[in-house]
Amino acid sequence: MLDKPICTLIIAEVYTMSDDRSYKFDSTISMERSIQAELLLLLGQRPSHGYELIQRLNEADFKSGEADTATVYRNLRRMDKDELIRSHWEISESGPGRRLYELTPLGKQTLDLWSQFLSFQKAKLENFQQVYDQYVESLSKEENEVNKS
Amino acid sequence: MTNSNVLRLIHAGALQQVMERCQDLFTKQNPDLKSEMKGVGSREGAKRLLSGEHYDVIALADQALFAELLVPDLVENYFVFAADQIVIAYTDVSKGSKEITPNNWINMLLDSQVRFCHSDHHLDPCGYRALMVWQLAEKFYERSGLFLELEGSCSPFEVYPKSFNLASDLIKGKLDYAFLYSSQAKQLELPYITLPSKINLSNPAYADYYDQAAVSVESKIPGNNIIIHGKPIEFAIGKSRNSQLSELAQAFIDLLTGPDGDLILEECGLIPC
Repeated sequence: MLDKPICTLIIAEVYTMSDDRSYKFDSTISMERSIQAELLLLLGQRPSHGYELIQRLNEADFKSGEADTATVYRNLRRMDKDELIRSHWEISESGPGRRLYELTPLGKQTLDLWSQFLSFQKAKLENFQQVYDQYVESLSKEENEVNKS
Repeated sequence: MTNSNVLRLIHAGALQQVMERCQDLFTKQNPDLKSEMKGVGSREGAKRLLSGEHYDVIALADQALFAELLVPDLVENYFVFAADQIVIAYTDVSKGSKEITPNNWINMLLDSQVRFCHSDHHLDPCGYRALMVWQLAEKFYERSGLFLELEGSCSPFEVYPKSFNLASDLIKGKLDYAFLYSSQAKQLELPYITLPSKINLSNPAYADYYDQAAVSVESKIPGNNIIIHGKPIEFAIGKSRNSQLSELAQAFIDLLTGPDGDLILEECGLIPC
């Protein structure tokens, strides 16, 4: 069941995108929250420990900015608490034991919702760009007509 | 002669507050238990085990020390439990405390009137990490010769076997600036300058960049030195192979690496991993 606070929030955002609140969400979505989506995606690809996740996140084309260590671990703990991910200590034969994180079914559902939200955002940005292009074209036409006359 | 009914813990001096709080909690859970703790520079701590001193639990400021000195003979497994970064701590009465910023710290420290220092890099990871920060700063700020300039201006470091001692002298006013962990500055409520993540040894994303820094320290063979390279700062804990109180030692490690430990680490300014 999607009864966790973060899921509720994202569901609310996805399903109210056509009303006024979607604008508020769009303008307030933080890097902190987008890092959660990015971490969920990386953990969907494969379970990882924090050290590796920070490296993978900083190499990813979709990163929002430099992911610092404190922010990543804070979000991992938060998502662990919200049961979007789970963790256990993994003992290594060749190096230190580290906490290994993996995606839960609830985390997978949340990742799907993030994807829906981002698709909506992408479509909206494309629409904006299209209307902007039309506006620029109309300005250009007006300028040409003024120059001709 | 050691008392086998006493749980003996050796830890990085920088973990003093964390270990004391964990010990308090652990004692509440195990009221009949007696425990002893010793805070030292982590390199010194690992060498104490090598020289035959007995401890049940070992918590060090550099996870790499386990592989270099303790695994597999003295410790079987060890766990990374916290991360941190190097900062420049100072006090309100430090010379230039009103003027220092993340952009001018080099020139401020190189002022001949200013006293700054790091802990002994042969004994304490915070010490060799400070030297690594200086080397990385030379590259990052493209300021040739900076490392030698800072080394030449630094106060004598041999009197600081661990960063805890360095922090004490900073508070006493014997130093103006000290290269410490961010968590220590927070615990002691000292103002501090945060350095760029490319040089403060905090971020695994820059592990390759940090690796360019290298410091010579005394190896486990007296009189010989080894070169160690820069790595992201990670603290680790392990149980001695020959602990007579193996279950209790493991229970202490479970506490530090569990939710209670995470909370204590966070409240002490470290980043639980």
